[in-house]
Amino acid sequence: MTFENLFIALVIGLVVLVMLMLIRVYKGPTVYDRLNGLGVIGTDAILVLVILGFLSRREDMYVDIAISYSILGFIGLVVIAKYLEGREDSDA
Amino acid sequence: MKILAVLFLLAGFFFTAVAAIGVLRLPDFYTRLHASGKADTLGISLSLLGLAVYEGFSLVSVKIILIAVFIFLANPTGTHVLAKAAYRSGVKPWTKKEGT
Repeated sequence: MTFENLFIALVIGLVVLVMLMLIRVYKGPTVYDRLNGLGVIGTDAILVLVILGFLSRREDMYVDIAISYSILGFIGLVVIAKYLEGREDSDA
Repeated sequence: MKILAVLFLLAGFFFTAVAAIGVLRLPDFYTRLHASGKADTLGISLSLLGLAVYEGFSLVSVKIILIAVFIFLANPTGTHVLAKAAYRSGVKPWTKKEGT
């Protein structure tokens, strides 16, 4: 079993996990559940990006994209959570 | 060395899958946050460490370790901000008396 097959299997498994998180984002009772699922999707997408870089042998480019994606995902999560903080109608 | 990389990658995928199942199946918002705050951070960090071990010492592996350290700091911070926002806007914690 070479590393290519392992990487392809990991990408497929991570895409399945992202699909599961989309179920939580679709039916989450509160808006914070949806935000939590989106955060988990973001961290899984970082790992998918780095593995895709190793698969296509362009890992120097994909690692930079993964760094900027992780920073932007964190800042977006904090900003949306601060925007929603203190609202009473949280079942949107 | 390659066996170590495979072990890190498989352990990381295991913890990521446990985090996803926890976020999907646990009964309350705060318990779901518990799953995504700790298990997901550990899984992603282990997977990135396995990829850095597979790459060897280079600029790419240093950047991958940088991503792992940033996620190790940022993911629990985001979870904490989310929990505080939900608590201030009145999301009730799950108790056993109210049933499932």
